[in-house]
Amino acid sequence: MSDRPLTMPLALVLALAVIVTLFPVFWIVMTAIKPPTDWNAVPAIWVPGEPTLVNFRTLFDPEALGVYGVGGVSEAATQAVFGSLLASIVATALSVGIGLAAAIAISRYSGGGRATPLVILSGRMFPPAAIAVPFVIIFSTIGLIDTYFGLIAIYIAVTLPFSTWMLKSFVDEVPKEVEEAAMIDGMTRVKAHLTVTIPLIKGGLFATTLFIFILNWSEFLFALVLSYTTIETIPVRLAKYVTATAGTLYGVQAALAVLAMIPLVIAGFLIQNHLARGMTFGAVKR
Amino acid sequence: MTAHSDIAPSDVSLPAAPSKDAVKKRGTRRKALGRTLLLPGQLISLFVLVVPLLVAFYMSFTDWSPTRGALSSAQFIGLFNYEELLVYDTRFVEAVLRTLVFGVVCLSLEFLIGLGLAVLFLRRFRGKALLFSMLLTPMMVLPVVVGYTFWMLFQSNGPINQLIELTLGAGAAPDWFKSAISAQITVVVTEVWHWTPLFFLILLSGLNAVPENPVRAAVILGANPRQVFWRVVLPMLLPVIVIAFVIRAMEIIKLFDEVFMLTRGGPGSSTETISLYIYKLAFNDFQLAYGAAAAFLVLIGTLGLVHLLLTPVRNQLLEARG
Repeated sequence: MSDRPLTMPLALVLALAVIVTLFPVFWIVMTAIKPPTDWNAVPAIWVPGEPTLVNFRTLFDPEALGVYGVGGVSEAATQAVFGSLLASIVATALSVGIGLAAAIAISRYSGGGRATPLVILSGRMFPPAAIAVPFVIIFSTIGLIDTYFGLIAIYIAVTLPFSTWMLKSFVDEVPKEVEEAAMIDGMTRVKAHLTVTIPLIKGGLFATTLFIFILNWSEFLFALVLSYTTIETIPVRLAKYVTATAGTLYGVQAALAVLAMIPLVIAGFLIQNHLARGMTFGAVKR
Repeated sequence: MTAHSDIAPSDVSLPAAPSKDAVKKRGTRRKALGRTLLLPGQLISLFVLVVPLLVAFYMSFTDWSPTRGALSSAQFIGLFNYEELLVYDTRFVEAVLRTLVFGVVCLSLEFLIGLGLAVLFLRRFRGKALLFSMLLTPMMVLPVVVGYTFWMLFQSNGPINQLIELTLGAGAAPDWFKSAISAQITVVVTEVWHWTPLFFLILLSGLNAVPENPVRAAVILGANPRQVFWRVVLPMLLPVIVIAFVIRAMEIIKLFDEVFMLTRGGPGSSTETISLYIYKLAFNDFQLAYGAAAAFLVLIGTLGLVHLLLTPVRNQLLEARG
């Protein structure tokens, strides 16, 4: 549209925006590599003089802070890391698989009809705190509470609208004629989808997978109410660290926060160009 | 491509003269495949979303709580919970209004800042791709971590207060989480930091997709840049803007994670959102039936709100969906 260069005042505004955007991330990363003496220092220590990985070690070995004469956390985060990986990976794979089947059905066999988008959207409007209530009751009746099976089932159901509509928008972009040509060549419908449609949306499939992974990895409320002792995820553990050690173990809390953030930032940048599509259920294409 | 021996006759799209029966059969098989592909998704939605919702709906008309035994033995009390919520429960009504105010304030700020940044990105400058990625970073941080990070930043001796005292002198910094208004400010700042990038991203893709011809025509007809922006570009952006608002509005009504980490709704209930209130009802006070009724009121309200927001662009959206 306009192709004018950036003037000096506008450049300053932009610089300010970038600083405000990056500062919180900078602070949390720096806190994660600070030794205990620097955590709460006044005046603030912006960049630690002696960066250390002891906070990260403490996550897996609660006594690691002993070398600084600081008591550690009561519980390691090992189980939470394991739980987050397990729940997110399994739920993502299944959500994308089921979503792909549904996307092909809706795009190619007009299943669901025109009203479906709004129906699915209304599923997203219900406050999770409220869905969690009947979940907890039903799950405790049938013994699924505090199990990964139950948590994964919820994650699939909650992310399914996103995976279905994001994938549908990619399938829509594949011309029907390509599949029809394959079928004229003698392929069955199923085979045509497997060998023609799916390879053509490889990029979209990859983007959707990472997007659904981001949603699952970030989930907090369901994990909070459905976990007691046998299951745990990183967000739940972070909340527990903050409640249990508020104001004391900043470095360890920050280390867990950074650990939680790393996979998402990588995944996010990999699918940067598809984020708008994912967030808008495929309504905004680029 | 494939050896012709394994072709099932009914799958070939070009039979010499298909009999009526064959066409019909193919049509049914086609539909059957569509239904089969949809089935897994429908089943999981049915068991994990629809059934719990129906249970919650039934529950909302009872006085059930876990201490009173099985759900089936609960007393049916009609609309009592709903009446209680709407007429007598000021904490609920306040949580609803508070969430709406948070929504209006946050979305307005996110929209204005996001639009400003998107317009900046129409200018020509170096390092655009890198700055673009940097500005998107907050979206990629999980809500719990965002809440935790700002909780740390807003500590009384945290970096924000140290910067304030450095510039405005000692004693100028507030104790953010101790008073209602400053705690509310921390929630707004956190939300705006987290989600302005989404508006920026969506609006920038919208701006880049604005066709050049109407813009050129307006310029040739003598419109100045400001008129072009307000009269030509912005109306074309409307569907994109509405989509961004609808999606963010739906999310902010559910606002929970960040506030849970930042303030837990405090001090008092000054930052308590609807989701936080329902969570406390159900999982701290075990008033599950009452909480379910609150959730359905919220759902009805949200549906109405989204319907209202979508009105100006409904036709365009349905066309785009095909």
